[in-house]
Amino acid sequence: MTSPVFDVLEGGLLTTIQDAGRREWGHLGVPESGAADPWSLAVANLLVGNDPADAVLEMTLVGPSVAVRSDAGLTIGLAGADLGARIRGGRRLVPGRSHRLAPGEVLEIPGDIPNRPATGCRAYLAIPGGIDAPIVLGSRSTCLAAGFGGLDGRALRAGDEIAARLAAGARLNRPELVWPDPDDAEWFGGPVPVTPATLRVVAGPAPGLDTMAGMAWQVGSAADRVGVRLDGEAVPEGIGGEATTQGMPWGAVQVPADGRPIVLGADHQSTGGYRVVGVVISADLPVLGQLRPGSAVRLEAVDRTAALAALRGRREALVAGTAALRDAVGWGALIDSAGG
Amino acid sequence: MPEFVRPGSPALPLDAPTFEPIGDAGLLISFGPAVDAAAARAQAIAAAIDQARPGMPAVGRPVPAHASVLVPFDPLSIALEDAIGLVRSAVVSADATLASAETGADADVVADEDRAAATAIEIPVRYGGADGPDLETVAELLGLRPADVVELHASARYRVLFLGFAPGFGYLGGLPTALVTPRRDSPRERIPAGTVAIAGEQTCVYPLAMPGGWQLIGRTDTILFDPDRPEPALLRPGASVRFVPLGR
Repeated sequence: MTSPVFDVLEGGLLTTIQDAGRREWGHLGVPESGAADPWSLAVANLLVGNDPADAVLEMTLVGPSVAVRSDAGLTIGLAGADLGARIRGGRRLVPGRSHRLAPGEVLEIPGDIPNRPATGCRAYLAIPGGIDAPIVLGSRSTCLAAGFGGLDGRALRAGDEIAARLAAGARLNRPELVWPDPDDAEWFGGPVPVTPATLRVVAGPAPGLDTMAGMAWQVGSAADRVGVRLDGEAVPEGIGGEATTQGMPWGAVQVPADGRPIVLGADHQSTGGYRVVGVVISADLPVLGQLRPGSAVRLEAVDRTAALAALRGRREALVAGTAALRDAVGWGALIDSAGG
Repeated sequence: MPEFVRPGSPALPLDAPTFEPIGDAGLLISFGPAVDAAAARAQAIAAAIDQARPGMPAVGRPVPAHASVLVPFDPLSIALEDAIGLVRSAVVSADATLASAETGADADVVADEDRAAATAIEIPVRYGGADGPDLETVAELLGLRPADVVELHASARYRVLFLGFAPGFGYLGGLPTALVTPRRDSPRERIPAGTVAIAGEQTCVYPLAMPGGWQLIGRTDTILFDPDRPEPALLRPGASVRFVPLGR
């Protein structure tokens, strides 16, 4: 059953429908897609009682304006960067928690915050049941390069409608919850990087990461879902160059012959022909997805053991957060409201 | 942009593969120089791993390329050493299959080639004009007439080595050496979908509109990638491809 939720008044800079991505089609050259910050995807969903991989809206720097269409209002989960979400003429909505919206209210995400600089690049908005969109090649994610998935493979624009996939008997109103973050309240439930952000990288196959880890980098203006160009002094000659075309993982740090590195994002090409000096650890892919053009970034070489410890830490934090949400609301109430 | 695809030697290069982690959640199987036969081996290895995946849920769908296979895996569900062990046995079985195919008489190989030719994917192309704005430049660079370039390009038989770079983009081996051409000095910002191009020792069809620096010699209306088809990509690794000139 689908239930209309929002009328889109303005699409924002680049707002797309994303879920956990398309993992099975790299052999046909299809990008993985999915949320650029997978941690915030999970948090936004869990805040409204969804599966952590359900489809959400991913908003970039400046979000959309949407009018609440459902007659009884709804609860949304917000996570990731704080892009200044607010009700038009009314209250601020911070990420890392769920918020009840009343019918007819207009949600605005202007991209700036009163009295302090915005940090992070991407915010995530989940609705109960997940966003309704057809499954294409195993995912509801938008593939911008080839124009399929999500909303006809494109970004949101004025006049679009957003609907929820609700199980029979499920409600659009859920308890208001706060994501428990024992470490840092500033994170708002998302890995919004402090400045300079650090990307931890496992070295190889090509040499050169140690040299690059000692250099200062800035996120270039060529930063999108496909990849992030790092500006700085050119990498010394001999490190960058072409290589035999091979499969590329998300987070690969490619160095072309011009010495200007590119870190591959969620929409990366499935194969590539530049040298790879390392790959961002899985635990830091969310940080990569939150890098804002112009912000400072450092590369830190870590070994495999450290990478796996960090990943284990993230998975445990997700399990602990989910359990805390259950305790806060009573799991039975959450299941009831989800129609289960 | 993809790099050159070098013409292959017919012999199967069964060098011992290396198994190296790439990042914390990937395994790269690499072997031998990037020749056409290595691409066929990569396809066979990827297929063998894929077949074994129901028994190894922590292993993701492999991505074969020119002389390597990328295997994603969940490092918290399976140790690197165990992932290598699982993948190694798939490599052994793929290589055994390839070796037994190779031991057949030459006649069998010829028969294989004939079968591939009979099932060639034909791509009708409008060469030159607005569809192939670089055809005359290419002809001039090569000291040929435009009609000779078309004749050479359309008379060759190409092999799909692997897919990558963009949905449905096939790396094609077999460009006639007489057509080896440098890339354009300045890339174009947008090349229309279906454009047929050459650069270096390679030819391709752009499945989607995208930027690129290759020489554009023609265009096809054939859809190379459609996610709603049962087989989304027209080009299948190992398949033979022929370009058929359309009258203007």
